[in-house]
Amino acid sequence: MPSQDILVIGGGPAGLEAARSIGDLGFKAILVEKRDRLGGTPDEAQYAALTPDLRSAEEAMNEMIQAVENNPNVDIRLSSTVVAAEGSVGDFKVTVKNGKGEEVLNVGAVIVATGFQHFDPGRETQKYGYYEYEDVITLVDCEKMLKAHRFVRPSDGKKPERVCFIQCVGSRDRRIGNEYCSKVCCGIASKEAIEIRQMVPDCKVFIFYIDMRMYSYWEPQLYWKAQEEHKVNYVKGIATEIVKKGDKLLVKGEDTTLRRPFEIPMDIVILSVGMEPSKGTREIAKIFGLKQNKYQFIEAVGAPMDTVSTSVPGVFAAGACTGPADLEDSISAAGLAAMRAIKTVRENGAKKAS
Amino acid sequence: MPVDPKQIRAKDKVVVDGIELTSEWNRMFDQRPVFDYGIDVLEKIAEIPGAESIAWCYQCAQCVPVCPVNEVGDYGPRKIYRRLQFGIDLLTDDELWKCTTCMNCLRVCPKDVNMINIMPAVREEAVMEGHVPAELQEVFENTFEYGNPLGESPRKRADWAKDAGVPVPIMKEKKEADILWFVECYPSYHPRGKETSVALAKVLNALNVDFGILGTEEKCSCDSQRLAGERGLFEEFAEENIKTFSKYKFNKILVTDPHALNAFKKEYPKLGGEYDVVHYTTFLAPLMDKLEFKNTLNYKVTFHDPCYLGRHNGEYDAPRQIINSLPGVELVEMWRCRQNSFCCGGGGGGMWLDGFMADHVKERLSENRVKEAVETGADVLVVCCPYEISRFEDAVKSTGNEGKLIVKDIIELVVEAMGV
Repeated sequence: MPSQDILVIGGGPAGLEAARSIGDLGFKAILVEKRDRLGGTPDEAQYAALTPDLRSAEEAMNEMIQAVENNPNVDIRLSSTVVAAEGSVGDFKVTVKNGKGEEVLNVGAVIVATGFQHFDPGRETQKYGYYEYEDVITLVDCEKMLKAHRFVRPSDGKKPERVCFIQCVGSRDRRIGNEYCSKVCCGIASKEAIEIRQMVPDCKVFIFYIDMRMYSYWEPQLYWKAQEEHKVNYVKGIATEIVKKGDKLLVKGEDTTLRRPFEIPMDIVILSVGMEPSKGTREIAKIFGLKQNKYQFIEAVGAPMDTVSTSVPGVFAAGACTGPADLEDSISAAGLAAMRAIKTVRENGAKKAS
Repeated sequence: MPVDPKQIRAKDKVVVDGIELTSEWNRMFDQRPVFDYGIDVLEKIAEIPGAESIAWCYQCAQCVPVCPVNEVGDYGPRKIYRRLQFGIDLLTDDELWKCTTCMNCLRVCPKDVNMINIMPAVREEAVMEGHVPAELQEVFENTFEYGNPLGESPRKRADWAKDAGVPVPIMKEKKEADILWFVECYPSYHPRGKETSVALAKVLNALNVDFGILGTEEKCSCDSQRLAGERGLFEEFAEENIKTFSKYKFNKILVTDPHALNAFKKEYPKLGGEYDVVHYTTFLAPLMDKLEFKNTLNYKVTFHDPCYLGRHNGEYDAPRQIINSLPGVELVEMWRCRQNSFCCGGGGGGMWLDGFMADHVKERLSENRVKEAVETGADVLVVCCPYEISRFEDAVKSTGNEGKLIVKDIIELVVEAMGV
């Protein structure tokens, strides 16, 4: 039977914003989240501060979660996963499974907000020895330490004297298959570099990069701030190898503007890992038959003028499930997806009335 | 441990089978890898008040192609930043003295890395630590002792006026004048400078300008010494000049030297001396129709914009107006003109570092500029900064262009056209 309810899949920033917007506009949203709590990747990966404003991730996400929890029009289903779907625009029958069993939800439109996962730097190549050296970590591992207010060398708990970031790990890489720029890593590395300099003022921080991609206001907010106020050192040329030398990591690369090789000892090496479609994104795409691009993200078929419509009418996608996105992108797309979904179910209601 | 400076510098001379290798190749004889960044040094330099912006460089490298020193050697703010990041201490590094503060880098820098503030600040620190090229130190001492960088007797400062053939009133006698003409050192002592001073005196007389000079009371404005790191000397002399100015009544200060213009406009107000100050080209440009020209010159000329008149103080048009008002003079521009004018090498202490610079550059900036002037097909290279006339005349000789190009101050052309 045609329905005016809207299903939102995923309880991260995009899903929360979509559900809240639908509820605020007087329509019913059913928010399905596979974890037992809302908040998505910022919560699951324990982000410390958000990029670019360095606001506490926990505080910001709690605000979004509360807005949804306090919204009478949003029906939240935790620990639930979508396992099957049939029907078409205006009348989808979506099977949702939880610990108690399965339930078929009848909805008029669907918003997919299943997000991304961080690139696993040990998966494709062992170039940087992520699984070999304890002191080689990722942006995500670094977030956890920053959140715990304890930034130390993982191998021995000592205060680091030098730390470097290596950019573009798992992004812009034809061999790995992720040819795209992950968009946020330059900003996040700069943000974490600022936080490290604040937490451990004696620690020298380097960022080895190919291009610094600080679009829009991130340039002054993060890049210039890191360099000018926090004395973070940017060096053009990313390291190729990491070799253990005593209790240090010898980082080998080329300083391209000087055209000289460098071999610099570091205490901690942070790999700026990029974004890939999450397992959930890939599964939901299959369940709904959504067209995916060559990187397995859900394709926004009307992009760039329509950033939320998928290949299936009535199914919209928002946030990092469509490709690398920052919070602003995700939140903006979620609002748009909510609007498009409501338009869809209202037309459906009108049809129903006639 | 910072990297050894020698490590990233090519060897002075490498000869293989009798052939001297270029710097590109002789670098191969040095150790190439960099084993550490010594960023403490960058932080230390950026902490010097005035030098903060050196740490803002993001290596876009726009400064390098417009840096005149890079044209004849290997230089530019971006490279200074990189060396600092490598732990090479700018305070003891030769790189500190290669900048002429011509300001062409700042013109194009998107990050406001300001060498005009950085250079004097860091050099001041180096001077205090005693790291100064010997020839520059001698100039500082001359200035301190004699009131001028040439080491000439202060009593002879106004001697040129005796032979001017026109009245050159001294303020000490006159007390009051519409225009106080600050002659400055090179126009007071240098043989070619004196000739331009005489020419300017003739023009001022022809225009019935009510003017006076300070004569032996005048002391070097020291702007170039300041930019070369001697802020103490600058301030001491500024205070004396301000005291001297206060003894007399005048409406405007007229300067021959764009470096003095810069000092009076930008630095003296900080020390309590605020004046209406004007370069002689700016002063004369609107008065040209009041002059009578007896001679047609038949010159094809090109004009060199002084860094401290143009980029530093925004005057590009007045000299051109003067040139264009002279009968029979055709002006052809060099391609590096106006905002992109090429430095003569004299600013920021460069005037007194030619010996030092010879070890770092393939030719003098003045030589590079003279070649450009010759290429335009001009007979005369017209200048309006007292540093330039001697620098360019030397360069005409050293580049073998004698007979092809002569160097004249703009005021000499005016006098020649007037036939006085």
